[in-house]
Amino acid sequence: MENQDNKQDNKIEQKVMSEIKSGRVKLRSKYIFLAEKLGLGSAFALSILLAVLFFCLALFYLKASDNLIYLSFGSRGVFAFLESFPYLLAASLVIFIFAAAAILKRSGVSYKKPFSYLAFGLLGFIMLAGTILAFTNIPERIERGTFGKHPAGVFFRPFFRDDMEARKNGIAGRVVEIGENYIVAQTPRNVEKIDLSELKIRLREQINEGDFIMVIGERKNGLFIARDMRVARPDDMPIIQRSVHQRFGNFVPLMPR
Amino acid sequence: MTSKTNLTGLSDLKVLSDERLAAIIREKDRELYGEIIRRYQTKLSHYLRKFVHDADELEDVLQDVFIKTYKNLYDFNVNKKFSSWIYRIAHNEAVNYIKKHRKEAFSLDAKELEIIDEKIDVKKEFDAQLLKNKIGKSLSLMKEKYREPLLLYYFEEKSYEEISDIMRIPRSTVGILIMRGKNILKEFLTR
Repeated sequence: MENQDNKQDNKIEQKVMSEIKSGRVKLRSKYIFLAEKLGLGSAFALSILLAVLFFCLALFYLKASDNLIYLSFGSRGVFAFLESFPYLLAASLVIFIFAAAAILKRSGVSYKKPFSYLAFGLLGFIMLAGTILAFTNIPERIERGTFGKHPAGVFFRPFFRDDMEARKNGIAGRVVEIGENYIVAQTPRNVEKIDLSELKIRLREQINEGDFIMVIGERKNGLFIARDMRVARPDDMPIIQRSVHQRFGNFVPLMPR
Repeated sequence: MTSKTNLTGLSDLKVLSDERLAAIIREKDRELYGEIIRRYQTKLSHYLRKFVHDADELEDVLQDVFIKTYKNLYDFNVNKKFSSWIYRIAHNEAVNYIKKHRKEAFSLDAKELEIIDEKIDVKKEFDAQLLKNKIGKSLSLMKEKYREPLLLYYFEEKSYEEISDIMRIPRSTVGILIMRGKNILKEFLTR
C-alpha cells in the first residue's frame, strides 16, 4: 500500500514538474493579483461610498419632500405616503449595501470575525456617515443639480423626479386659484384642480393664493376629490417648493385679482 | 538537484520553511517546487482520499491542487502559514469534486477508526468492520459544514486556527462545528 502511494506520489511530482518545466503551467503574474486586490478594494470603496450617498439622499428626501408629512394625516395618509416613498432610492441603497457586504465576504479578509459583527459594523458606518452627510448642503446641491441643468444631474434624475410623479392619493403643490368648492394647485408635474366639496374636515387655516398645501383624497374622472387638506409651512417640503418654482417660476395667480 | 539559488544542497532545502521556500520558488527558482510537492503530496492525498475514493480521480484532483497552488503562488502571503493556504486550495477542490459527484460512503483506515473510537467515545460493542462501515456512512450523511472541521481536526490534526484559515470561518465557529459534528456522529452511531 505504501509502495503504491509512493509510486503515485512520484508520478504526480513528475507530471506537475514536467508541466512547469515545459512552460505549459506558468505562475500568474503578481500584477494580476495586485490588480484583483485593487479592483476588489475599489469596488468595495465605491459600494460603500454610494451606499452612504444613497442613505443620505433617502434621508434628505424623507425630510425635504411631502412623503413623511402625509403620515401626519393619520391612517388616511398612509396610501399617499406609500405612493410617494422613494422606492428607487431605497432599493439602490439596499443593493449597494449588499454589494459591499458581498465584496467584504469574498475578499477573505474578514473571516476571523463572525460576519454578523462586520455586517452590523458596515451598516452602522453607512448610517452614521449618511446621517452626517445629510446635515451638509451636499444632498440639496445634488437635488438642485437634478432639477437644474447640471450634467451630473442626469444620473440622479430618476431617483428624485420619478418620485414626484402625479399621485393617486395625495397632492402637494402651490395654490394659484381659489374658487367655490375647488382650488387649483401647481405641482412639480402639472396643474391640478382639487374638488373640496367632499372635504370631511374643515380647514382650520385660511388658504391664500401662493400658499403651499398638502391634500389627501382620491382621483375620480380626472378630478382630485379632497378628503383632508392643510397648509404647509415654507420649510416643510423644500423639494416640492423648489420643483414647483423650477417648473412654473415665481408665483403668478391664474385668475386676475 | 540543480538549483539556481544559493542553496548548496538537499540538506539546505530541507531546513527551509514552507513560506521561505514558496518565496524562493516564485522569485528565483521555479524548479524547487518539486520540494513543495514532496512535502505535501502524502498529507494532501490522505486528506483528499476522504472525498475522492477512486485512485485515478484522486490523482487528478491532487495534480490540480498542486498546479493551482503553483499558478497562484504570488497570491500567497509569506507572513501567513503555507500549509493552511495549500489546504485551503485542496479544500476548495474537494468541495468542487463533491458538488460534481454524488455522495459516497467514507472509507476509513484502521488508525482513523481508532481516532474516532477514542475521541468520539463510542462505547458500543460494535464489530470492527461494522463500526468502520457505520462511521463511513455516518460521515457521508453528515452535512459538509460539520464533516469538514471534524476531518481536519481529528484526521489531519489541524489546530482550530488552521481550520479557521482553511475554511475561512471564525475560530469560535470551528469549535462549535466540531462539537456539533461530534454529537451528530455520536447520535448516528448510537442509533
